[in-house]
Amino acid sequence: MGFLKNKSGRQQITDEHRPCQDSGRREFLKKAVKAAAIGGTAVVTGCQAPGLLGSKEEFALQFQEYFKAHYRLMTEKERDTTITRLERLAKLQKNVDVQISSKEAMPGVLFGYGFNVTRCEGYMECVSACVRENNLDRKSNMQYIRIFEMEPGQMTPDAGQGKFFNEVPVDGRFYMGAQCNHCDNAPCIKACPTKATYREPDGIVVVDYDWCIGCRYCMAACPYYGRRFNWNEPVVPVKEITKKQHYLGNRQRRRGQMEKCTFCVQRTREGRLPACAEACPTGARIFGNLLDPKSEIRFVLENKKVFRWKEELGTDPKFWYFID
Amino acid sequence: MKTPKQKKYGLATVLGLMIILTGWNAFSEKGGVVQTIKNATSTFDNGSVESVPPVPEDTVLAQVRYQGGTFRVETRKDKVKRFQCSQCHNNQPVAIANAVETAHGDITLNHGDKVKQLACFTCHDKDNRDVLITEKGTKVDMDHSYQLCGQCHFRQKKDWIGGAHGKRVSWWAGERVVKNCASCHDPHAPRFEKRWPKTYSRPFTE
Repeated sequence: MGFLKNKSGRQQITDEHRPCQDSGRREFLKKAVKAAAIGGTAVVTGCQAPGLLGSKEEFALQFQEYFKAHYRLMTEKERDTTITRLERLAKLQKNVDVQISSKEAMPGVLFGYGFNVTRCEGYMECVSACVRENNLDRKSNMQYIRIFEMEPGQMTPDAGQGKFFNEVPVDGRFYMGAQCNHCDNAPCIKACPTKATYREPDGIVVVDYDWCIGCRYCMAACPYYGRRFNWNEPVVPVKEITKKQHYLGNRQRRRGQMEKCTFCVQRTREGRLPACAEACPTGARIFGNLLDPKSEIRFVLENKKVFRWKEELGTDPKFWYFID
Repeated sequence: MKTPKQKKYGLATVLGLMIILTGWNAFSEKGGVVQTIKNATSTFDNGSVESVPPVPEDTVLAQVRYQGGTFRVETRKDKVKRFQCSQCHNNQPVAIANAVETAHGDITLNHGDKVKQLACFTCHDKDNRDVLITEKGTKVDMDHSYQLCGQCHFRQKKDWIGGAHGKRVSWWAGERVVKNCASCHDPHAPRFEKRWPKTYSRPFTE
Protein backbone atom coordinates (compact mmCIF):
# COMPACT_ATOMS: atom_id res chain seq x y z
CA MET A 1 0.00 0.00 0.00
CA GLY A 2 2.83 2.33 0.88
CA PHE A 3 4.30 2.21 -2.56
CA LEU A 4 1.01 2.90 -4.27
CA LYS A 5 0.53 6.06 -2.29
CA ASN A 6 4.11 7.18 -2.59
CA LYS A 7 4.16 7.01 -6.37
CA SER A 8 2.89 10.56 -6.73
CA GLY A 9 6.29 11.66 -5.45
CA ARG A 10 5.12 14.36 -3.07
CA GLN A 11 3.20 11.91 -0.88
CA GLN A 12 6.16 10.97 1.33
CA ILE A 13 5.60 9.96 4.93
CA THR A 14 7.75 12.20 7.10
CA ASP A 15 8.94 11.43 10.61
CA GLU A 16 6.54 13.90 12.18
CA HIS A 17 2.80 13.84 12.45
CA ARG A 18 1.41 15.59 9.43
CA PRO A 19 -2.12 16.73 8.72
CA CYS A 20 -3.39 15.03 5.61
CA GLN A 21 -3.66 17.41 2.71
CA ASP A 22 -5.42 15.38 0.09
CA SER A 23 -8.74 14.76 1.76
CA GLY A 24 -10.46 14.82 -1.61
CA ARG A 25 -8.52 11.88 -2.92
CA ARG A 26 -8.86 10.01 0.36
CA GLU A 27 -12.61 10.52 0.41
CA PHE A 28 -12.78 9.19 -3.12
CA LEU A 29 -10.71 6.17 -2.16
CA LYS A 30 -12.91 5.49 0.81
CA LYS A 31 -16.04 5.57 -1.30
CA ALA A 32 -14.41 3.31 -3.85
CA VAL A 33 -13.42 0.88 -1.11
CA LYS A 34 -16.91 0.84 0.31
CA ALA A 35 -18.38 0.21 -3.10
CA ALA A 36 -15.85 -2.56 -3.69
CA ALA A 37 -16.61 -4.08 -0.30
CA ILE A 38 -20.28 -4.25 -1.11
CA GLY A 39 -19.50 -5.68 -4.49
CA GLY A 40 -17.02 -8.16 -3.06
CA THR A 41 -19.48 -9.35 -0.47
CA ALA A 42 -22.07 -9.86 -3.17
CA VAL A 43 -19.62 -11.95 -5.15
CA VAL A 44 -18.67 -14.07 -2.16
CA THR A 45 -22.20 -14.77 -1.11
CA GLY A 46 -23.13 -15.46 -4.70
CA CYS A 47 -20.43 -18.00 -5.49
CA GLN A 48 -19.38 -19.71 -2.26
CA ALA A 49 -21.01 -21.45 0.59
CA PRO A 50 -21.36 -19.15 3.65
CA GLY A 51 -18.75 -19.80 6.33
CA LEU A 52 -15.85 -20.47 4.03
CA LEU A 53 -14.55 -16.91 4.33
CA GLY A 54 -16.47 -16.08 7.47
CA SER A 55 -19.68 -14.14 7.58
CA LYS A 56 -20.64 -11.31 5.24
CA GLU A 57 -19.84 -8.77 7.92
CA GLU A 58 -16.45 -10.28 8.66
CA PHE A 59 -15.47 -10.22 5.03
CA ALA A 60 -16.60 -6.62 4.64
CA LEU A 61 -14.64 -5.56 7.71
CA GLN A 62 -11.51 -7.33 6.57
CA PHE A 63 -11.85 -5.76 3.16
CA GLN A 64 -12.10 -2.29 4.65
CA GLU A 65 -9.18 -2.99 6.97
CA TYR A 66 -7.09 -3.70 3.92
CA PHE A 67 -7.38 -0.14 2.66
CA LYS A 68 -6.63 1.85 5.78
CA ALA A 69 -3.83 4.41 6.13
CA HIS A 70 -0.59 4.25 8.07
CA TYR A 71 -1.28 4.78 11.77
CA ARG A 72 0.63 8.06 11.87
CA LEU A 73 -1.31 9.50 8.95
CA MET A 74 -4.71 8.57 10.30
CA THR A 75 -6.98 11.26 11.66
CA GLU A 76 -8.60 10.79 15.05
CA LYS A 77 -11.78 9.66 13.34
CA GLU A 78 -10.02 7.16 11.12
CA ARG A 79 -8.27 5.67 14.16
CA ASP A 80 -11.58 5.24 15.92
CA THR A 81 -13.09 3.60 12.85
CA THR A 82 -10.30 1.08 12.44
CA ILE A 83 -10.35 0.27 16.16
CA THR A 84 -14.08 -0.33 16.04
CA ARG A 85 -13.52 -2.64 13.08
CA LEU A 86 -10.71 -4.54 14.84
CA GLU A 87 -12.73 -4.97 18.01
CA ARG A 88 -15.69 -6.24 16.02
CA LEU A 89 -13.45 -8.63 14.07
CA ALA A 90 -12.05 -10.06 17.32
CA LYS A 91 -15.60 -10.59 18.50
CA LEU A 92 -16.60 -12.31 15.25
CA GLN A 93 -13.51 -14.47 14.90
CA LYS A 94 -12.67 -15.43 18.47
CA ASN A 95 -15.70 -14.29 20.43
CA VAL A 96 -13.65 -12.11 22.79
CA ASP A 97 -14.44 -8.53 23.79
CA VAL A 98 -11.14 -6.68 23.43
CA GLN A 99 -10.60 -3.00 24.11
CA ILE A 100 -8.03 -1.52 21.75
CA SER A 101 -6.59 1.80 22.84
CA SER A 102 -4.99 4.46 20.66
CA LYS A 103 -3.62 6.49 23.55
CA GLU A 104 -0.99 8.99 22.48
CA ALA A 105 2.38 9.49 24.15
CA MET A 106 2.35 11.72 27.21
CA PRO A 107 4.28 14.98 26.88
CA GLY A 108 7.48 15.19 28.93
CA VAL A 109 7.93 11.43 29.02
CA LEU A 110 10.83 9.42 27.59
CA PHE A 111 10.85 5.81 28.69
CA GLY A 112 14.03 4.13 29.81
CA TYR A 113 14.92 0.76 31.26
CA GLY A 114 17.51 -0.47 33.70
CA PHE A 115 18.55 -4.11 34.09
CA ASN A 116 20.43 -5.09 37.23
CA VAL A 117 22.89 -7.79 36.22
CA THR A 118 23.76 -8.51 39.85
CA ARG A 119 20.19 -9.06 40.98
CA CYS A 120 18.79 -11.14 38.12
CA GLU A 121 18.66 -14.79 39.17
CA GLY A 122 17.31 -16.32 35.97
CA TYR A 123 13.87 -17.26 37.31
CA MET A 124 12.31 -16.32 33.94
CA GLU A 125 9.17 -14.86 35.52
CA CYS A 126 9.54 -11.85 33.21
CA VAL A 127 9.48 -14.00 30.08
CA SER A 128 6.36 -15.80 31.18
CA ALA A 129 4.58 -12.55 32.09
CA CYS A 130 5.59 -11.00 28.77
CA VAL A 131 4.17 -13.91 26.78
CA ARG A 132 0.85 -13.65 28.61
CA GLU A 133 0.61 -9.86 28.47
CA ASN A 134 1.53 -9.41 24.83
CA ASN A 135 -0.50 -12.32 23.41
CA LEU A 136 2.58 -13.94 21.93
CA ASP A 137 2.30 -16.93 19.66
CA ARG A 138 2.22 -20.12 21.72
CA LYS A 139 2.64 -22.41 18.71
CA SER A 140 6.15 -21.27 17.82
CA ASN A 141 6.84 -20.44 21.49
CA MET A 142 7.69 -16.83 20.71
CA GLN A 143 9.40 -14.79 23.42
CA TYR A 144 10.53 -11.17 23.36
CA ILE A 145 12.89 -11.53 26.31
CA ARG A 146 15.85 -13.84 26.49
CA ILE A 147 17.81 -14.55 29.64
CA PHE A 148 21.40 -15.76 29.44
CA GLU A 149 23.45 -17.62 31.97
CA MET A 150 26.84 -15.96 31.99
CA GLU A 151 30.27 -16.97 33.19
CA PRO A 152 32.21 -14.37 35.17
CA GLY A 153 33.97 -11.93 32.87
CA GLN A 154 31.58 -12.26 29.96
CA MET A 155 30.20 -8.87 29.03
CA THR A 156 27.76 -9.53 26.20
CA PRO A 157 24.82 -11.94 25.99
CA ASP A 158 26.18 -13.30 22.68
CA ALA A 159 28.75 -15.17 24.75
CA GLY A 160 26.29 -16.48 27.35
CA GLN A 161 24.37 -19.73 27.59
CA GLY A 162 20.85 -19.08 26.35
CA LYS A 163 19.54 -22.60 26.77
CA PHE A 164 20.25 -23.24 30.43
CA PHE A 165 18.24 -26.07 31.94
CA ASN A 166 19.00 -26.28 35.64
CA GLU A 167 17.95 -24.89 38.97
CA VAL A 168 18.80 -21.22 39.22
CA PRO A 169 20.78 -19.34 40.32
CA VAL A 170 23.94 -21.38 39.82
CA ASP A 171 26.76 -20.30 42.13
CA GLY A 172 29.41 -18.27 40.38
CA ARG A 173 27.28 -17.41 37.37
CA PHE A 174 25.22 -14.34 36.65
CA TYR A 175 22.20 -13.71 34.45
CA MET A 176 21.67 -11.16 31.75
CA GLY A 177 18.50 -10.35 29.85
CA ALA A 178 18.22 -9.22 26.25
CA GLN A 179 15.25 -7.64 24.56
CA CYS A 180 14.49 -4.66 22.32
CA ASN A 181 16.72 -1.77 23.42
CA HIS A 182 14.43 0.93 22.00
CA CYS A 183 17.33 2.74 20.38
CA ASP A 184 17.07 6.46 19.84
CA ASN A 185 18.99 5.97 16.63
CA ALA A 186 17.49 2.65 15.67
CA PRO A 187 18.89 0.69 12.72
CA CYS A 188 15.61 -1.18 12.29
CA ILE A 189 13.75 2.07 11.55
CA LYS A 190 16.28 2.97 8.89
CA ALA A 191 16.03 -0.47 7.33
CA CYS A 192 12.25 -0.56 7.05
CA PRO A 193 11.20 0.06 3.43
CA THR A 194 7.56 0.87 4.23
CA LYS A 195 8.14 3.00 7.36
CA ALA A 196 5.96 0.56 9.24
CA THR A 197 8.31 0.74 12.19
CA TYR A 198 9.05 4.10 13.76
CA ARG A 199 9.88 5.88 16.99
CA GLU A 200 7.02 7.26 19.03
CA PRO A 201 7.49 10.63 20.82
CA ASP A 202 8.00 8.86 24.16
CA GLY A 203 10.92 6.92 22.73
CA ILE A 204 9.22 3.57 22.13
CA VAL A 205 10.02 1.90 18.82
CA VAL A 206 6.77 0.44 17.52
CA VAL A 207 5.49 -1.44 14.48
CA ASP A 208 2.31 -0.63 12.60
CA TYR A 209 1.59 -4.31 12.01
CA ASP A 210 -0.74 -3.70 9.09
CA TRP A 211 1.92 -1.78 7.18
CA CYS A 212 4.56 -4.42 7.71
CA ILE A 213 5.22 -6.36 4.51
CA GLY A 214 7.27 -9.01 6.30
CA CYS A 215 10.56 -8.41 4.49
CA ARG A 216 12.54 -8.92 7.75
CA TYR A 217 15.12 -6.26 6.89
CA CYS A 218 14.67 -4.87 10.40
CA MET A 219 15.39 -8.27 11.88
CA ALA A 220 18.68 -8.36 10.01
CA ALA A 221 19.48 -4.76 10.95
CA CYS A 222 18.87 -5.14 14.69
CA PRO A 223 22.14 -5.78 16.54
CA TYR A 224 20.26 -6.83 19.70
CA TYR A 225 18.20 -9.68 18.21
CA GLY A 226 15.15 -7.77 19.42
CA ARG A 227 12.69 -8.55 16.64
CA ARG A 228 10.45 -11.54 16.11
CA PHE A 229 8.76 -12.74 12.94
CA ASN A 230 5.45 -14.55 12.69
CA TRP A 231 6.25 -17.56 10.56
CA ASN A 232 2.83 -18.99 11.24
CA GLU A 233 -0.57 -17.62 12.14
CA PRO A 234 -0.18 -16.78 15.85
CA VAL A 235 -2.04 -19.13 18.17
CA VAL A 236 -3.23 -17.77 21.52
CA PRO A 237 -5.69 -19.73 23.66
CA VAL A 238 -8.89 -17.67 23.82
CA LYS A 239 -8.96 -17.87 27.61
CA GLU A 240 -5.47 -16.38 27.89
CA ILE A 241 -5.94 -13.41 25.56
CA THR A 242 -5.11 -10.10 27.25
CA LYS A 243 -8.17 -8.03 26.44
CA LYS A 244 -6.72 -4.62 27.23
CA GLN A 245 -4.82 -3.89 24.06
CA HIS A 246 -3.17 -1.07 22.17
CA TYR A 247 -3.12 -0.54 18.43
CA LEU A 248 0.69 -0.42 18.48
CA GLY A 249 1.06 -3.00 21.22
CA ASN A 250 -0.43 -6.38 21.96
CA ARG A 251 -3.33 -6.50 19.52
CA GLN A 252 -3.78 -9.52 17.28
CA ARG A 253 -0.91 -10.00 14.82
CA ARG A 254 -1.07 -12.06 11.66
CA ARG A 255 1.24 -14.39 9.83
CA GLY A 256 4.04 -12.60 7.99
CA GLN A 257 4.18 -9.62 10.31
CA MET A 258 7.10 -8.47 12.39
CA GLU A 259 6.64 -7.77 16.06
CA LYS A 260 8.74 -6.75 19.03
CA CYS A 261 8.80 -5.54 22.60
CA THR A 262 6.94 -2.23 22.92
CA PHE A 263 7.72 -1.61 26.61
CA CYS A 264 4.10 -2.81 26.99
CA VAL A 265 2.77 0.40 25.42
CA GLN A 266 -0.76 -0.55 26.50
CA ARG A 267 0.36 -0.50 30.14
CA THR A 268 3.08 2.15 30.28
CA ARG A 269 1.02 4.89 28.64
CA GLU A 270 -1.50 4.38 31.42
CA GLY A 271 1.23 4.80 34.01
CA ARG A 272 1.76 1.12 34.81
CA LEU A 273 5.03 -0.74 34.75
CA PRO A 274 5.72 -3.14 31.85
CA ALA A 275 4.66 -6.71 32.56
CA CYS A 276 8.27 -7.89 32.89
CA ALA A 277 9.18 -5.24 35.45
CA GLU A 278 6.06 -5.98 37.46
CA ALA A 279 6.63 -9.74 37.38
CA CYS A 280 10.32 -9.68 38.30
CA PRO A 281 10.65 -11.30 41.75
CA THR A 282 14.12 -9.89 42.44
CA GLY A 283 13.64 -6.25 41.46
CA ALA A 284 16.29 -6.46 38.77
CA ARG A 285 14.19 -4.49 36.32
CA ILE A 286 13.87 -0.73 36.72
CA PHE A 287 11.56 1.26 34.50
CA GLY A 288 10.74 4.95 34.44
CA ASN A 289 10.71 8.35 32.86
CA LEU A 290 14.17 9.48 31.76
CA LEU A 291 13.14 13.13 31.66
CA ASP A 292 12.14 13.17 35.34
CA PRO A 293 15.16 13.80 37.61
CA LYS A 294 13.26 12.21 40.51
CA SER A 295 12.56 8.91 38.77
CA GLU A 296 14.22 5.63 39.73
CA ILE A 297 15.85 5.17 36.35
CA ARG A 298 17.56 8.56 36.70
CA PHE A 299 18.84 7.53 40.13
CA VAL A 300 20.30 4.39 38.58
CA LEU A 301 21.96 6.30 35.77
CA GLU A 302 23.47 8.84 38.13
CA ASN A 303 24.51 6.57 41.02
CA LYS A 304 25.23 3.10 39.66
CA LYS A 305 27.80 1.67 37.30
CA VAL A 306 25.85 1.47 34.07
CA PHE A 307 26.70 0.33 30.58
CA ARG A 308 24.85 -0.17 27.34
CA TRP A 309 25.18 -3.20 25.13
CA LYS A 310 27.08 -2.51 21.86
CA GLU A 311 27.14 1.20 22.58
CA GLU A 312 29.95 1.60 20.07
CA LEU A 313 27.50 1.00 17.22
CA GLY A 314 25.95 4.41 17.85
CA THR A 315 22.44 3.03 18.11
CA ASP A 316 21.91 5.01 21.33
CA PRO A 317 19.81 2.45 23.21
CA LYS A 318 17.53 3.41 26.10
CA PHE A 319 18.23 0.13 27.89
CA TRP A 320 20.99 0.21 30.49
CA TYR A 321 22.61 -2.69 32.30
CA PHE A 322 23.97 -1.95 35.73
CA ILE A 323 25.69 -3.69 38.60
CA ASP A 324 25.33 -3.21 42.33
CA MET B 1 32.42 56.89 6.45
CA LYS B 2 33.44 53.27 5.84
CA THR B 3 35.82 52.36 3.09
CA PRO B 4 34.99 49.33 0.88
CA LYS B 5 37.89 47.45 2.53
CA GLN B 6 36.38 47.96 6.00
CA LYS B 7 33.02 46.76 4.67
CA LYS B 8 34.69 43.63 3.29
CA TYR B 9 36.30 42.82 6.63
CA GLY B 10 33.04 43.47 8.45
CA LEU B 11 31.17 41.09 6.15
CA ALA B 12 33.85 38.42 6.57
CA THR B 13 33.69 38.71 10.38
CA VAL B 14 29.92 38.39 10.40
CA LEU B 15 30.05 35.39 8.07
CA GLY B 16 32.75 33.75 10.18
CA LEU B 17 30.75 34.28 13.33
CA MET B 18 27.69 32.77 11.68
CA ILE B 19 29.60 29.68 10.64
CA ILE B 20 31.04 29.23 14.13
CA LEU B 21 27.66 29.69 15.79
CA THR B 22 25.94 27.25 13.43
CA GLY B 23 28.67 24.71 14.07
CA TRP B 24 28.40 25.21 17.80
CA ASN B 25 24.66 24.82 17.63
CA ALA B 26 24.91 21.61 15.63
CA PHE B 27 27.57 20.27 17.99
CA SER B 28 25.60 21.01 21.15
CA GLU B 29 22.62 19.06 19.84
CA LYS B 30 24.77 15.97 19.49
CA GLY B 31 25.19 13.50 22.32
CA GLY B 32 21.97 11.59 21.72
CA VAL B 33 19.77 10.37 24.48
CA VAL B 34 22.39 10.94 27.17
CA GLN B 35 22.47 14.65 26.34
CA THR B 36 18.68 14.73 26.28
CA ILE B 37 18.63 13.28 29.78
CA LYS B 38 21.23 15.74 31.03
CA ASN B 39 19.21 18.63 29.64
CA ALA B 40 16.00 17.44 31.35
CA THR B 41 16.12 19.05 34.79
CA SER B 42 12.50 19.92 35.48
CA THR B 43 10.56 17.30 37.40
CA PHE B 44 7.67 15.48 35.78
CA ASP B 45 4.39 15.84 37.63
CA ASN B 46 3.59 12.19 38.30
CA GLY B 47 0.18 13.17 39.57
CA SER B 48 -0.74 14.43 36.11
CA VAL B 49 -1.25 10.89 34.83
CA GLU B 50 -4.99 10.54 35.29
CA SER B 51 -5.25 6.79 34.80
CA VAL B 52 -3.31 6.03 37.99
CA PRO B 53 -5.59 4.87 40.81
CA PRO B 54 -5.29 6.16 44.38
CA VAL B 55 -2.54 4.54 46.46
CA PRO B 56 -3.34 1.12 47.96
CA GLU B 57 -4.63 1.09 51.52
CA ASP B 58 -1.95 -1.21 52.88
CA THR B 59 0.79 1.39 52.50
CA VAL B 60 2.28 3.89 54.89
CA LEU B 61 4.35 7.03 54.39
CA ALA B 62 8.04 6.19 54.73
CA GLN B 63 10.11 7.89 57.40
CA VAL B 64 12.90 8.65 54.94
CA ARG B 65 12.88 10.88 51.90
CA TYR B 66 14.05 10.04 48.41
CA GLN B 67 15.52 12.55 45.98
CA GLY B 68 13.84 15.30 47.91
CA GLY B 69 10.36 13.76 47.99
CA THR B 70 8.23 11.51 50.13
CA PHE B 71 7.20 7.99 49.21
CA ARG B 72 5.08 5.18 50.59
CA VAL B 73 6.01 1.62 51.58
CA GLU B 74 3.91 -1.52 51.89
CA THR B 75 2.81 -2.30 55.43
CA ARG B 76 3.92 -5.38 57.30
CA LYS B 77 1.90 -5.53 60.50
CA ASP B 78 -1.36 -6.46 58.77
CA LYS B 79 0.40 -9.34 56.99
CA VAL B 80 1.92 -10.89 60.10
CA LYS B 81 -0.37 -13.64 61.32
CA ARG B 82 -1.42 -13.26 64.97
CA PHE B 83 -0.22 -9.67 65.31
CA GLN B 84 -0.28 -8.16 68.03
CA CYS B 85 2.49 -10.21 69.54
CA SER B 86 1.69 -8.83 72.99
CA GLN B 87 -1.47 -10.93 73.04
CA CYS B 88 0.71 -13.81 74.23
CA HIS B 89 3.98 -12.11 75.09
CA ASN B 90 2.85 -9.84 77.91
CA ASN B 91 5.73 -10.06 80.38
CA GLN B 92 4.42 -13.32 81.78
CA PRO B 93 5.57 -16.80 80.86
CA VAL B 94 3.45 -18.35 78.12
CA ALA B 95 1.68 -21.27 79.82
CA ILE B 96 0.62 -23.27 76.77
CA ALA B 97 2.08 -26.68 76.00
CA ASN B 98 4.15 -26.75 72.79
CA ALA B 99 3.52 -23.03 72.31
CA VAL B 100 6.77 -22.47 70.42
CA GLU B 101 6.09 -25.27 67.98
CA THR B 102 2.46 -24.25 67.44
CA ALA B 103 2.99 -20.54 67.00
CA HIS B 104 6.45 -20.22 65.47
CA GLY B 105 7.18 -23.68 64.09
CA ASP B 106 7.16 -22.36 60.52
CA ILE B 107 10.17 -20.15 61.14
CA THR B 108 13.53 -21.43 60.00
CA LEU B 109 16.26 -19.05 60.96
CA ASN B 110 18.89 -18.68 58.25
CA HIS B 111 20.06 -15.12 58.49
CA GLY B 112 23.60 -13.93 58.95
CA ASP B 113 26.80 -15.82 58.42
CA LYS B 114 26.83 -19.51 59.29
CA VAL B 115 29.44 -18.68 61.89
CA LYS B 116 27.39 -15.92 63.50
CA GLN B 117 23.71 -16.62 63.06
CA LEU B 118 21.32 -13.92 64.19
CA ALA B 119 19.11 -14.76 67.13
CA CYS B 120 15.49 -13.73 67.82
CA PHE B 121 16.46 -10.86 70.03
CA THR B 122 18.97 -9.40 67.59
CA CYS B 123 15.98 -7.79 65.91
CA HIS B 124 12.94 -8.34 68.18
CA ASP B 125 12.60 -6.27 71.32
CA LYS B 126 12.65 -8.51 74.40
CA ASP B 127 10.49 -6.19 76.48
CA ASN B 128 7.95 -5.13 73.89
CA ARG B 129 7.38 -7.86 71.32
CA ASP B 130 5.26 -5.63 69.09
CA VAL B 131 8.28 -3.67 67.91
CA LEU B 132 11.76 -4.32 66.61
CA ILE B 133 14.92 -2.96 68.15
CA THR B 134 18.19 -1.78 66.62
CA GLU B 135 21.65 -2.44 68.00
CA LYS B 136 21.62 1.07 69.41
CA GLY B 137 18.39 0.37 71.26
CA THR B 138 16.05 2.41 69.07
CA LYS B 139 12.59 0.88 68.78
CA VAL B 140 11.46 0.37 65.17
CA ASP B 141 7.89 -0.13 64.01
CA MET B 142 7.39 -3.30 61.94
CA ASP B 143 6.02 -1.24 59.05
CA HIS B 144 9.34 0.60 58.90
CA SER B 145 11.62 -2.42 59.10
CA TYR B 146 14.00 -0.84 56.54
CA GLN B 147 15.33 1.21 59.47
CA LEU B 148 16.37 -2.05 61.13
CA CYS B 149 17.65 -3.93 58.06
CA GLY B 150 19.61 -0.83 57.01
CA GLN B 151 21.90 -1.19 60.03
CA CYS B 152 23.90 -3.87 58.27
CA HIS B 153 22.55 -3.63 54.72
CA PHE B 154 23.22 0.09 54.46
CA ARG B 155 24.24 -0.08 50.79
CA GLN B 156 21.01 -1.83 49.90
CA LYS B 157 19.07 0.68 51.96
CA LYS B 158 20.65 3.59 50.10
CA ASP B 159 19.85 1.96 46.77
CA TRP B 160 16.34 1.09 47.91
CA ILE B 161 15.59 4.67 48.90
CA GLY B 162 16.87 5.93 45.56
CA GLY B 163 15.19 3.23 43.51
CA ALA B 164 18.01 0.93 42.36
CA HIS B 165 17.15 -1.90 44.80
CA GLY B 166 13.69 -3.29 45.35
CA LYS B 167 10.78 -2.36 43.19
CA ARG B 168 7.81 -0.10 42.78
CA VAL B 169 4.35 -1.57 43.14
CA SER B 170 2.80 -1.84 39.69
CA TRP B 171 2.84 1.83 38.63
CA TRP B 172 5.72 4.00 37.45
CA ALA B 173 3.50 7.09 37.57
CA GLY B 174 1.51 8.44 40.46
CA GLU B 175 2.73 8.65 44.02
CA ARG B 176 5.77 6.45 44.58
CA VAL B 177 4.80 3.21 46.34
CA VAL B 178 7.59 0.67 46.88
CA LYS B 179 7.82 -2.79 48.33
CA ASN B 180 9.15 -3.03 51.85
CA CYS B 181 12.12 -5.25 52.73
CA ALA B 182 9.91 -8.00 54.08
CA SER B 183 7.55 -7.85 51.06
CA CYS B 184 10.14 -9.77 49.05
CA HIS B 185 12.60 -11.18 51.61
CA ASP B 186 11.62 -13.52 54.40
CA PRO B 187 13.26 -11.68 57.31
CA HIS B 188 14.22 -14.99 58.95
CA ALA B 189 15.80 -16.45 55.80
CA PRO B 190 16.31 -13.52 53.43
CA ARG B 191 18.24 -15.19 50.64
CA PHE B 192 16.13 -16.25 47.63
CA GLU B 193 15.89 -20.00 47.23
CA LYS B 194 17.23 -21.97 44.31
CA ARG B 195 14.44 -23.17 42.09
CA TRP B 196 13.53 -24.17 38.56
CA PRO B 197 12.83 -21.31 36.14
CA LYS B 198 9.22 -20.52 35.34
CA THR B 199 9.72 -21.18 31.64
CA TYR B 200 12.57 -21.89 29.25
CA SER B 201 14.43 -19.70 26.85
CA ARG B 202 14.76 -20.18 23.16
CA PRO B 203 18.28 -20.31 21.80
CA PHE B 204 19.84 -17.10 20.52
CA THR B 205 20.20 -18.23 16.94
CA GLU B 206 17.76 -20.77 15.62
